[in-house]
Amino acid sequence: MAGNNGGPWGGGGGNRGNGEDDKRPGDDRRPPTRRPGDGPQIPEIDELMNKGREQLRVLMGGGKGGTGPGGTGGGPRITRGTIGLAGLAVVGLWAFMSFYTVRPEEQSVELFLGQRYSVGEPGLNFAPWPLVTYDVVNVTSERTESIGTVAGAPSDAGLMLTTDANIVDIGFQVVWNVNNPESLLFNISDPQLTVQAVSESVMREIIAASTFSSILNRDRGAIADTAQANIQATLDEYESGISIVRINLEKAEPPPEVIDSFRAVQAAAQERDRLQRQADAYSNTVLAEARGRAAQIVEQAEGYRAQTINDALGQASRFAAVQTAYEGSQDITRRRIYLETMERVLGDVNKIILDPSVAGGEGGSGVVPFLPLNELMRTPTGPAAAATGTGN
Amino acid sequence: MNRLLIALGVVGLAIVAFLSSVFVVDEREKALVLQFGSIAQVREEPGIGFKIPLIQEVVKYDDRILSLDTDSFEVTPSDDRRLVVDAFARYRIADVVRFRQAVGVGGIRTAEDRLSGILNSQIREVLGADQVTSDTILSSERRVLMNRIRDQAQVSAESLGIDIVDVRLKQTNLPEQNLEATFARMRAEREREAADEIARGNEAAQRVRALADRTVVETLSESEKEAQITRGEADAEASTIFADAYGADPEFFDFYRSMQAYEVTLQGETSTMVMTPTSDFFRFLYAPDGVGQTPPAAPAP
Repeated sequence: MAGNNGGPWGGGGGNRGNGEDDKRPGDDRRPPTRRPGDGPQIPEIDELMNKGREQLRVLMGGGKGGTGPGGTGGGPRITRGTIGLAGLAVVGLWAFMSFYTVRPEEQSVELFLGQRYSVGEPGLNFAPWPLVTYDVVNVTSERTESIGTVAGAPSDAGLMLTTDANIVDIGFQVVWNVNNPESLLFNISDPQLTVQAVSESVMREIIAASTFSSILNRDRGAIADTAQANIQATLDEYESGISIVRINLEKAEPPPEVIDSFRAVQAAAQERDRLQRQADAYSNTVLAEARGRAAQIVEQAEGYRAQTINDALGQASRFAAVQTAYEGSQDITRRRIYLETMERVLGDVNKIILDPSVAGGEGGSGVVPFLPLNELMRTPTGPAAAATGTGN
Repeated sequence: MNRLLIALGVVGLAIVAFLSSVFVVDEREKALVLQFGSIAQVREEPGIGFKIPLIQEVVKYDDRILSLDTDSFEVTPSDDRRLVVDAFARYRIADVVRFRQAVGVGGIRTAEDRLSGILNSQIREVLGADQVTSDTILSSERRVLMNRIRDQAQVSAESLGIDIVDVRLKQTNLPEQNLEATFARMRAEREREAADEIARGNEAAQRVRALADRTVVETLSESEKEAQITRGEADAEASTIFADAYGADPEFFDFYRSMQAYEVTLQGETSTMVMTPTSDFFRFLYAPDGVGQTPPAAPAP
């Protein structure tokens, strides 16, 4: 409503009385909700005072005759002047009570004699007190409720029972703001507590319907999304005017009492991996070695083939060559080969030459049986050389 | 001056009288006007109202949704597994007259006491019912149970003039003394899992090693086989070559090959020969003409 209307209302004599005893029980919320009434507003108050004073002057000029202009009169005039000053103070106070600012992140709801009346937009707003009262609600700012976590200390607050009777430790934050300030004000008594209670209940419901492993393995986003949808649905049922912006699922893990066992499982999984990799490494080493060895064996055989055949070809060709030469002069070649061979053979061999006469003549049973064969074998060079006299 | 003062006094009185006969009912409230304790007026809609000063008084009640948290307590579902349960209710005062009659001057505090009594008994009743086990509570059936609690509590709360908007279970946990057992079980499960992991790791490793060993043996024996085949072929070919070459003159081969064999077998240091000079080789040893010795050479041993 237009601020101009305030003039006549403000001038109404009833206001002074109202100022004293119209503090309705339960209306004590007004001063606290008047959040913007801090530092930044002080200059505005001056402004308002000035405005109020002007309005008062106009009013007095019109309504009560020459009081204002003739303020410099005698005794009764001084009284009137005092009254005027008092009136000025009252108007100033009233203006102070009636104007309020709404910040960009806020909205205000105005009540005319307790009835829903209008919504104040950001900026300077006017609610002629006491007929119109107002509440300012922070709408867009995000508020956060933490559930299941206690700052700084481990706690049991987040322990929840799953459907397969395991216990999981859940901690999450609910971030919310207001999408309908009227609903928020008029429908629920304690928004913060409501958000907390509903969030906890919904999360416990989701957890109670899930298995332990699915909570740990499932995408946390999925749990958070379901929770957000269900919390929002419940709050909408209450027509709370609260909008859940998001759920931050901070932890969904085994409780601290058993977390070591879970870490041990992870370690075991690593160990399993390690064992497999070691086996793979062994396999790789051994197989490569075997392949190399196999290649070696095959190549050796090929080498043998070449060697054998070449040797055969060589010998054959040598034999063929010798045999060709032998064809021409058989006897002499034969004897030459025999003698040359014997020369090479007997040249290297230890020899004991026994004359048949010494040996015992025709019978052959002379010294032969008494030859110390073993000794001859043991010291091949000494006695043999002495005996033969040929030397080596 | 006197008239002015009197006028001021009258105006002041009038203002006081006016103010004490006017009351404003907020959007968030419902009001009862009581006259010596009996209900004279019910104001459920917001707006301005009038009453007789001094004689009548106004009592206001919150018209918003109010909350009530129950204490946690143990319930025993039909499978005898105890659970610690707490819940909260959201309710609003639907019928101020009945509410006033039910709770009297105690107001909201008395109402909360009564209501939590109702909730506790309804929760016990619903969760302790025959077909409800702890598995039912810990499942998606929970919502059905919560609605059942709400509906039953609603019936009981009607006499209080209260409308129960919602009842929701919060925690459904194991009692403290069962926690440790559960933790122990969870730990045991994990240990089993860990052991299983390692056993499977060993199994896989052994499998891989065994396969590797087998492949090694296969590879080597395969190559060995190939090698033998190759060697065999080589020997056969060499044999053919020898046969072809030596076959041209077997008699000379006999002699020639024997010579070679003597040379190889009678190696210097390892052999000692005991021989008579009557052999053909020593024909000239005693006789420069090479005769005389020859005849006895024939029967040489």
